[in-house]
Amino acid sequence: MEKATVVCPYCGAGCKMKLVVDNGKIIRAEAANGYTNQGELCLKGYYGWDFLNDTKLLTPRLREPMLRREKGAPFETVSWDEAIKFVATRLADIKAKFGPRSIMTTGSSRGTGNETNYVMQKFARAVLGNNNVDCCARV
Amino acid sequence: MSVSLDDIENSKCLFVFGYNGADSHPIVARRIVKARQKGAKIVVCDPRKIETARIADQFLQLHNGSNMALINAFIYTLIEEKLYNQEFVAKYTEGFDGLWDVVKDYKPEAVEDATGVPANQVREAMRTYATAESAVIMWGMGVTQYGQGTETVKALAALALLTGHLGREGAGVAPVRGQNNVQGACDMGVLPDLFPGYQSVTDPAIREKFAKAWNIDPDTMDPEPGVRLSLVPHLALEGKIKGYYIMGEDPMQTEADTSSVRKGLEALDLLVVQDIFMTKTAEMADVILPATSWGEHSGVYTCCDRGFQRFEKAVEPKYNVKRDWDIISLIATEMGYPMHYDNDQQIWDELRELCPIYYGVTYEKMGDLGHVQWPCPTLDHPGTPILYTDLKFTAAPSGKGQLLANQWRKPAELTSPDYPLVLSTVREVGHYSCRSMTGNCAALKALADEPGFVQVHPDDAHKLGIQDQALVWVESRRGKVITRANYNERVNRGAVYMTYQWWIGACNELTQENMDPVTNTPETKYCAVNISTIDDQRWAENHAAQIYSELKARLRNAVEEAKPATASIA
Repeated sequence: MEKATVVCPYCGAGCKMKLVVDNGKIIRAEAANGYTNQGELCLKGYYGWDFLNDTKLLTPRLREPMLRREKGAPFETVSWDEAIKFVATRLADIKAKFGPRSIMTTGSSRGTGNETNYVMQKFARAVLGNNNVDCCARV
Repeated sequence: MSVSLDDIENSKCLFVFGYNGADSHPIVARRIVKARQKGAKIVVCDPRKIETARIADQFLQLHNGSNMALINAFIYTLIEEKLYNQEFVAKYTEGFDGLWDVVKDYKPEAVEDATGVPANQVREAMRTYATAESAVIMWGMGVTQYGQGTETVKALAALALLTGHLGREGAGVAPVRGQNNVQGACDMGVLPDLFPGYQSVTDPAIREKFAKAWNIDPDTMDPEPGVRLSLVPHLALEGKIKGYYIMGEDPMQTEADTSSVRKGLEALDLLVVQDIFMTKTAEMADVILPATSWGEHSGVYTCCDRGFQRFEKAVEPKYNVKRDWDIISLIATEMGYPMHYDNDQQIWDELRELCPIYYGVTYEKMGDLGHVQWPCPTLDHPGTPILYTDLKFTAAPSGKGQLLANQWRKPAELTSPDYPLVLSTVREVGHYSCRSMTGNCAALKALADEPGFVQVHPDDAHKLGIQDQALVWVESRRGKVITRANYNERVNRGAVYMTYQWWIGACNELTQENMDPVTNTPETKYCAVNISTIDDQRWAENHAAQIYSELKARLRNAVEEAKPATASIA
């Protein structure tokens, strides 16, 4: 049994917690003595991790890259290589035809973390050549 | 926030305005309870008798949409009763003379009808706040999700400047950021006008610094601020935005006026969605890029008091998914800009070098349980728990705190005979944001599920003939949804409240887009609705259950029925 120290992925309180992992599966969450939470958690901290087991209670995990060949067509699963090429080609086409400012990107205020947000704004500013990057800070 | 969570617990007075910590941040709310136990005075301003109001010394139950009128009455009182800190105002602020011109018409006795708060309560609240040894103003979306949100925040800051409740232990301003890393997204420059570290995109020297580090020609960078997220649907309909790369967001659930968002997304040439779950936004995508989740990767978040904290990976991802920054790097490389990172720390160290206020926040310093608050400019700097301790307010060239007040403006969509109730959208303690995560957790789902609830005062419900727990229609000028009526004596008469977690009882089908002109934050705290009863409750229960199961089946099928491509792209 191992324990991983994480920060709760829900509100901004920044509660530190331990995910207890047995055989590659999380079996419970324990409060850790973080600066902000002082060894306490709320119900989302204690019970908010089992979505990782892809319970499908509400909606399933995304499992592999998918794309539609045209609007309205069903999703097809594709390789990462093809998905990346598809996105890169289409974004480059849009940029060439309509200019850099015709593309919008978002970071995320949720589980992905600061590193990804840094990389996404770098992508907008250095690769697309615009400042069209924003997040869900208003909701 | 300018203070730390410790300061909230140790302050002598908490002035809580439009912030319901018990539902939005239960562990921050615990600090409010602890402050109360240590003898702090608590003043709550909210249209609902929220949990904090139950332990408050004073509860000012203002009308929805009257924030600015009430704060102007506070400023009026501070000046008229000479409660303000004259020495602090003279030394550290500017704009005092202009304040009175704005607030002179907001004598507490004169605005009782507008705010619903008796004048003596307004005066008493300011006496409590101004004379406290230390005080923190806490606010939340009850302030910012109004068309006048920015001006209201400035006026709250004026209260702190007028009284000198800033820059000391237990004294400051505390807008409590909502999501686990919304502070971090802003810290990292996921804002159309700022690079990471709050450095302006319009400053040529800053652009040159980033261009050099990123090995690009600074002339290829855009010198103008970009587009804000809430404006994208309209820009897409106008043909100005053609491609949209959404990562880790579900605007079809969380943004105001869903039908407008839907039309905007449909008008795009290309919608790329990178996420962990199939959502109502992801199902509209042209391309879906599946990412690792929290629990499956490590990194750094920033919590609501500017504290950077590391988090570890706990389990291996099960599916054919990639780390978000790896996906972005692969696309960048394919577009001709080589980008590659080996791990989170490599990215962290790159950005530390570019951001003076984060430079001293090393992985070692954060450690396992550490919490390092920016600014932290040097390797031996411990971080900054309290801002403005030098009483320099550098946002203005003079270094002085700006005292700003503005005339109160009513919300954009007022009630009418057809839509006689105010709808305000709020938070659910057991579910979070678009609910794709908490809705898939068995214990949390068991506590509350679709079609969600509309909280209504029993007196209003009786007038409308609505039974507690009955299914009802809630309708605005933009949409109509089915949800469950929930009698709640803590809400004010004339207003109803819905939490924005529900996919069937989806309040954003009803909300409207009147935006704050500075932040483009929609006025999701105020629109006009009506509620109608449904005579055949058995039909209603079946109907709600059926549309929920159809939605779930549609999303599940979109994932499970996707087959490998039969032809590759040339």
